[in-house]
Amino acid sequence: MYPNGHQGLKNINLKINDGEFVVIVGMSGAGKSSLIRSINRMVTPTEGELLIDNENVLAFREKKLRQLRTNVGMVFQNYNLVKRMSVLRNVMSGRLGHTNTFRSLLGLFPQEDLQLAMNNLKRVGIAEKAYVRADQLSGGQQQRVSIARVLTQQPKVILADEPVASLDPPTSHRVMKDLRRVSKEDNLTTIVNLHFIDMAMEYADRIIGLRDGEVVFDGPISEVTEATFEEIYGRPIKDDDLIGSEEA
Amino acid sequence: MSQPTKVALRKAQTKKGKVRFYLTLLVLSALYLVAILETEFKISSSQASPFTTLRRIFISPFTSMDYISQFPEYIGYMMETIAIAFAGGLVATLIAIPIAFLAARNISKEFSYIGKVILNAIRAIPELIFAIIFVAAVGIGPYAGVLAISINSVGMLGKLYAEVIESIDMSTIDAIRASGGNRLQAIWYGVLPQVLPEFSSYSIYRFEIDVRSSTVLGIVGAGGIGAPLILATYQRSWEDVGLILIVVIVFVSLIDILSGKIRKKLV
Repeated sequence: MYPNGHQGLKNINLKINDGEFVVIVGMSGAGKSSLIRSINRMVTPTEGELLIDNENVLAFREKKLRQLRTNVGMVFQNYNLVKRMSVLRNVMSGRLGHTNTFRSLLGLFPQEDLQLAMNNLKRVGIAEKAYVRADQLSGGQQQRVSIARVLTQQPKVILADEPVASLDPPTSHRVMKDLRRVSKEDNLTTIVNLHFIDMAMEYADRIIGLRDGEVVFDGPISEVTEATFEEIYGRPIKDDDLIGSEEA
Repeated sequence: MSQPTKVALRKAQTKKGKVRFYLTLLVLSALYLVAILETEFKISSSQASPFTTLRRIFISPFTSMDYISQFPEYIGYMMETIAIAFAGGLVATLIAIPIAFLAARNISKEFSYIGKVILNAIRAIPELIFAIIFVAAVGIGPYAGVLAISINSVGMLGKLYAEVIESIDMSTIDAIRASGGNRLQAIWYGVLPQVLPEFSSYSIYRFEIDVRSSTVLGIVGAGGIGAPLILATYQRSWEDVGLILIVVIVFVSLIDILSGKIRKKLV
């Protein structure tokens, strides 16, 4: 619940398993972002419990919270890269939680961390851009940088808040493919917000549908039908809800 | 087809508005009238004609070898002035950055008022007063000038820096905080790369101002070209005043051109 009295989420009771690739769908304002941001406490729910590895993160204070956040990586809609820094520096900024403050201020990252960063850039296919300034890259490449950044953090969980909402359909598909591939390779629990139905169907193991802050559907991809989405959106499905296939 | 009603660009004036307008006009004209009547427009100082003085300032220095041979000496004084401005600007930049972070609303939230009060207090005190205080404290010479320039520049630079910081994109800080980085790391990796080009641009601009103001500071004994300048004016030795002013004008213009070029490249 927000301080202004608007209740963003209510009666949420979910259990997300290790290694699952979960997609949360729902209309704008349904509470997708609030739900995902509660998990790493970028917003703090006013009531309830949120357990990660059997620890209630809502009780965490500064130090524990930072520790939690090093284990929970986040990918943002607008990439949130520092545009004037090189790609590699941006990727290394994901490593700050693991690095001694003093060393990080001097830019003295351990060699193995730099190797890790470079390797992750390779995995998302943009290693050759490592020393290019981030604002020289296209949107899809920037989002790959932010995926590399999150991997370099070596988290257990990845939260992705509308990772492809600012990208065109073919690029969206490629970024989602990359995200799914790396999260499966590293066996990471991944929670993604999407509002395109077909995309959710294509990449998710499990779908959670939100409407007006309440869970209206929760189940594996095999149980999802068009009727499920009509229930989530509260209206028939329109073409606007679909992003189209990769060749679109 | 009916004629559309005319649309005026300005909102129609009310009667009250008209009265207020003419009343203001009346009061302002009265004030101007008093000001003009009370000012004495009478020349009552030197016997020499202004044209003779101007000629002695700007023409005579070039007519005699005696004067031209003095240029190197004054250029030396100018170099000292530039050095004072440079050292002062450098120190000011280093001090202003932490204060600016303290004063930026998006970084220090409610504590930003502390930073703002510090900066406002510094800017409220004129540079010349700082110079007089420091001359009294550390003695006559360029060191006092550097101190005065640096403290004074902190006021302006800190305010400009804080405004730059307040205008940045905060999402990158979110990203670093979300990955477990602490506040200092978020500033270092999220904020500084965004603001450094603007910071250096403002510092160079301030250096330009400092060159001009450290010329003035020499008058109270804070080193640089100001001391010979004030001495020459007291002695009504207009040729020397002219020499010094020409040196100042040339160097200030050069620095202005140079700093303009550098700043264009930075931002």
